[in-house]
Amino acid sequence: MKTIIPIVLILMLPALVSAQAIFNPKDWPEGKEGPGAKAWAGVRAKLPPFTAPRTPDGQPDLQGRWGGTWSGDQIEEIPKFLDVTTPPWESWVSDPADGKLPYKHWALAERIAHREGLGREVWSKDPSIHLYYDPQAFCMKAVPRYSQRGYELVQTKDTVIMMLNWGHIYRVIPLDNRPRPSADTRMWMGSARGHFEGDTLVIETTNLNGKMWLDSAGNFIGPNAKVSERIRLVSATQLDYSATIDDPETFTRPFTLNAPQRRQRAADEKDPYAAESWEHACHEGNGEHEQQIKQLGFKWYLPPASPAK
Amino acid sequence: MGHRLRTFAPFAPFAFFVVINVFATSARAQAPANTPPYTPPKLANGQPDIQGIWQVLDTAAWDLLDHGASLGVPAGRGVVPGNEIPYKPEALAKKRENAEKRATLDPESRCFLSGVPRITFMPFPFQIVQQADKVNILYEYNHTIRQIYMNGNPHPEGHIDWWMGDSRGRWDGNTLVIDSVDFGEETWFDRAGDYHSDELHVVERYTPISPYHLRYDVTIEDPKVFTRPWNISAILYRRIDPNVELLEYECYAYQLENEFTKK
Repeated sequence: MKTIIPIVLILMLPALVSAQAIFNPKDWPEGKEGPGAKAWAGVRAKLPPFTAPRTPDGQPDLQGRWGGTWSGDQIEEIPKFLDVTTPPWESWVSDPADGKLPYKHWALAERIAHREGLGREVWSKDPSIHLYYDPQAFCMKAVPRYSQRGYELVQTKDTVIMMLNWGHIYRVIPLDNRPRPSADTRMWMGSARGHFEGDTLVIETTNLNGKMWLDSAGNFIGPNAKVSERIRLVSATQLDYSATIDDPETFTRPFTLNAPQRRQRAADEKDPYAAESWEHACHEGNGEHEQQIKQLGFKWYLPPASPAK
Repeated sequence: MGHRLRTFAPFAPFAFFVVINVFATSARAQAPANTPPYTPPKLANGQPDIQGIWQVLDTAAWDLLDHGASLGVPAGRGVVPGNEIPYKPEALAKKRENAEKRATLDPESRCFLSGVPRITFMPFPFQIVQQADKVNILYEYNHTIRQIYMNGNPHPEGHIDWWMGDSRGRWDGNTLVIDSVDFGEETWFDRAGDYHSDELHVVERYTPISPYHLRYDVTIEDPKVFTRPWNISAILYRRIDPNVELLEYECYAYQLENEFTKK
């Protein structure tokens, strides 16, 4: 049907615009960096103490529609303007303090190859310089990259549910510490188990398949990473979100991403539909894009074999 | 071409419920009467609690009607009372062509969103999660979500081409009633080529008949394709296996990986 593709594009636009604002280098003050983990830590430190309201089941009530965290373009510092969607920006890495991902040597070589293979510096159509395209271009997500987009969080007595409007991605996180599937059961979103520590929702995710990057700049984690997310209300309208990644095959030490998530407000309070999540059929309108990626010589990203294994 | 301009029509909710009630009555009249009365538990907000993981055990994913077996296809009794889908003559020819050319024409072959009610009959579990003003149905197949709004908003002004339609719900006693419109023309009903147009209107009724069973009654209306409305009646089974939870069936990710990596 002819009308589906334009509608899909229209529906994607708000997501694209909100995630990738357009910045003019001429208007960007010399030396300015967009706010990342350090800026957020400064804001958070000044907030008055806050105790989360409780659900009828006695859990901290984190429910609602939350806006995403990092821009998704690059989680480490962006020291200079790359293009109009990518101005200088502080790192989203809160630990280590230098904001850099603590790659092992082999893994840093991989990351460098990923970034060079994107051909972003030159936007060449020459397939010989291309390696992998950002896997998210195929309408998939993984933990923790899903958190870059907004989601609705719903709590039941024994589960936490997160529903992204983007690509209808969801997670159902059991709170009963039930046994996980075996280690060879691999999933894009992994196997998640949650519990509350005081006001903080803690989610531990394993069984990832390692086929998704952390950002669109080639940063990655391995399939055997354990991702520990901590989510806490720090005000009525802000969540403090962090993800600590423990992946000794790929990194010399664990590291942590940290960012705020903000309660979404309707752009138009008079629009009765403004708080509804409407269909975002991603793959269905993506065929032409997939063919272009293939014609440009990009390969399907599979996690590199760790030399440690 | 559909448009997305939406204006709030104060009389629309009233019209919407009148339409639902007409179908509700006809679906009830055809429901099997051989189960003892059952009253489901209630949530704190008073709604019937139909949350949990559910799945069909029938073979309607292959064919909504009675069918024999072939390689890879289990035989099955259909889920359409009367075992007839009332196609217009020219539409029946299209259904037969769909069936013949299924390998290339079936939207499932490209891992597209399944549409309604096809998604219910896919042989994968799905989970119902209730909120005060919304029921969410999360499907393992293609990580599909349906958000059934019960916030008083009628269907937005249309027509909108959506794969899973626009769904508005209400409770009729213990039955969850979902009214869906705004479908595109690209989804099918099953692997036998049964199809619809963008005038599809689906009314689903989820009725708990035991702690472990929901009766699933559907009325399908599409004046472009069918001579009259017709019904589906099936049973949804609660998955009570130890440690059952939704896993993943990422159809298009597997398909794209195959396409990109084949030698």
